[in-house]
Amino acid sequence: MALLELHEVGKAYGGLPAVDGVSLGTGGGEILALVGPNGAGKSTLLKLVVGLERPNRGRVILDGHDITGRPPHLVRRMGVAMVQQTPRSFPTMTVRENVALGALFGRDTPPDTDEALEIADEALAFVGLDDRRHDTVGALNLHQLRFLELARAIAGSPRLLLLDEVMAGLNDAELETSIDIVRAIRDRHDITVVWVEHVMKAVMGLAERVVVLDFGRILAEGSPDQVMRDPAVVEAYLGKEDLGA
Amino acid sequence: MTASILDGIVLGLQFGVLAAGLTLVYGLGGVLNLAYGQIAVVSGLVTLLTMEAGVPAVPAALIGLVAGGALGLIFDLTILQPVYRRHGEARVLLSLLLTLGAAFVIDGYLNWRYPLRGLNLRITGDPLVVFGVRMRMGSVVASGITIVVIGVLYWLFRYTRLGRAIRSVIQDEEGSRLVGIDPQLMMRLILVLSGVLAAIVAITRSMVAPVNVRAGFSLTVLGLIVTVVGGLGSIPGAFLAGLVLGIINSVASSYIGTFLSLIILLVAAAITIVIRPTGLLGVRE
Repeated sequence: MALLELHEVGKAYGGLPAVDGVSLGTGGGEILALVGPNGAGKSTLLKLVVGLERPNRGRVILDGHDITGRPPHLVRRMGVAMVQQTPRSFPTMTVRENVALGALFGRDTPPDTDEALEIADEALAFVGLDDRRHDTVGALNLHQLRFLELARAIAGSPRLLLLDEVMAGLNDAELETSIDIVRAIRDRHDITVVWVEHVMKAVMGLAERVVVLDFGRILAEGSPDQVMRDPAVVEAYLGKEDLGA
Repeated sequence: MTASILDGIVLGLQFGVLAAGLTLVYGLGGVLNLAYGQIAVVSGLVTLLTMEAGVPAVPAALIGLVAGGALGLIFDLTILQPVYRRHGEARVLLSLLLTLGAAFVIDGYLNWRYPLRGLNLRITGDPLVVFGVRMRMGSVVASGITIVVIGVLYWLFRYTRLGRAIRSVIQDEEGSRLVGIDPQLMMRLILVLSGVLAAIVAITRSMVAPVNVRAGFSLTVLGLIVTVVGGLGSIPGAFLAGLVLGIINSVASSYIGTFLSLIILLVAAAITIVIRPTGLLGVRE
C-alpha cells in the first residue's frame, strides 16, 4: 500500500546532520503534512526524495523500486512531482507553455505538442488560471505563480506530489483557495500529497496526518489535533515559532 | 557605402552564427569554450582533406559538419567532465583553463602537421546585383546558407520539443530538472550543435576568403566579442550584436583600413559593455 517509503534516510552537510535517520511511509491518496521549526530538515527531506540531493544513508523506495539518489528527471518520470517555495517557472514562455512542459517531459510516455497543450489547458482550468494562459509568467503574482506550478506538476500526471511551503506569504482568501485546490487535486486524481508547511492554519485545515520534525528527526506523528497537543511538540515550537503564523 | 553595409550584413550573419555556438554552451552550462575556433578550423581542414581525397565539395562539407559535431561531443565526454562537477564561477574558470589548453594542443598540432593549409571553397559564377551592388557569388551563397541556418535555429528553439527543453534549462536549471528534463543530456546535444555551427562558419567563411589552420584563436576572439556585446547566453543578442559589429567592421575596414578593424570592434564592444554591462539583450542574473 505504501507508495513512498523512507528507511532511515540521513543527510549531513559538513558533519552537521540536516536529516538524521527518518523513516516514514505514505500512499493511498493521503495528505501528509511535514511541520517543524526552521532548520528541522523538512525541505531537505523532500529534496532527498526527488533526487535534488543525494542521501548519505538510508533508502528511498517508490512503489517498491529503490530510487535512492536517482536524478530528478528520472524520479519525475516515475510519477513524483515537486513544487518549491520559490517559483521555478520559465519567464520567456507563456503560462500555457510552462504548464505544457510538465506534460511534455514529466510523463513516462510523452504526448505530442498539441496533446501537451490540451493537457496544459485542462490543468490550468483546474487551478483557475485558464484566463491567464496566454500571458507571460512575469504578469502573474506570487499566488498565481504557485498555482501555475501546481498546474505544471499535475500536467505530468504524478502519483506523488511534494509541496514545499507553497502557502507561505498568501493572504487568508488565497490560503482558502489553495487549500481547496490541493484537496481537489487529491480527490480527483487520487494523488498522495506530502506537504511541508509553516502555516498552521493550513495544516489544521488540510492535513490528514502530521509528522513533526525537529533537528532532522521525527519528534511526533499523528492526527493534527493529537500532534498539536503533544507536549514535546509544544516545547519544540515555543519561543522558536509562532504557531498562528 | 551601400556596398560596405551589405558586406557588413553578410559578415554580421556569420558573426551571429559564430557567437550563437559559444553563447548557447555558456547559457546552458556556464561553460566558455575557448577551443571553439579550433573546432571550426579542424572542421574546415577535414572538409579540405576529404575534397583532396576526391570527394565532391558538398558531401565533403557535410563530412566537415559531422567532424565539428563529433569534436563537440568529444569535448563533452572528456575535458568538460571535471568542469560539470563544479558550479558557478569555479565552473567558468575551469572551463576557460581546460579549453584553452585544448586549443593550444590543437593549434600546435595543426601548425606542425598541416602548416599554412587552408580551406578555400571559391565559388565561381558571375557577380549578382543586390540593391544596386555587385556581390560575389561566394558571398551570396554563404549568406544564403547562413540565413537558412538561422531560420532552422529559430524553428528548433521556438517550436520543437528539444528546443523547449533547452530553453527551460537556460532559464532555470533546477526548474527544468523538476519538470523532467535532463540538463546533462541537453548540454551534450548543445555541444554537438555548437560544433556543427563552428563548422558551418568555417565552411561559409571559406567561400568568401580562405580559412587557414591558424585562424582558430581569432575566430574564438571574434565569437567572444560578439557574444559579450550581445549578452552572454542570449541567442537573439548574439545575432543582433553580430549584425551591428559586422556592419561596423565592414564600414571601418573600407573607410579606415582592415588593419584597424579588430581594434575598432574591441572599442565598440568596450563602449557597449560600459553602457550596458549585461550586453545588448543580456539579462542580469
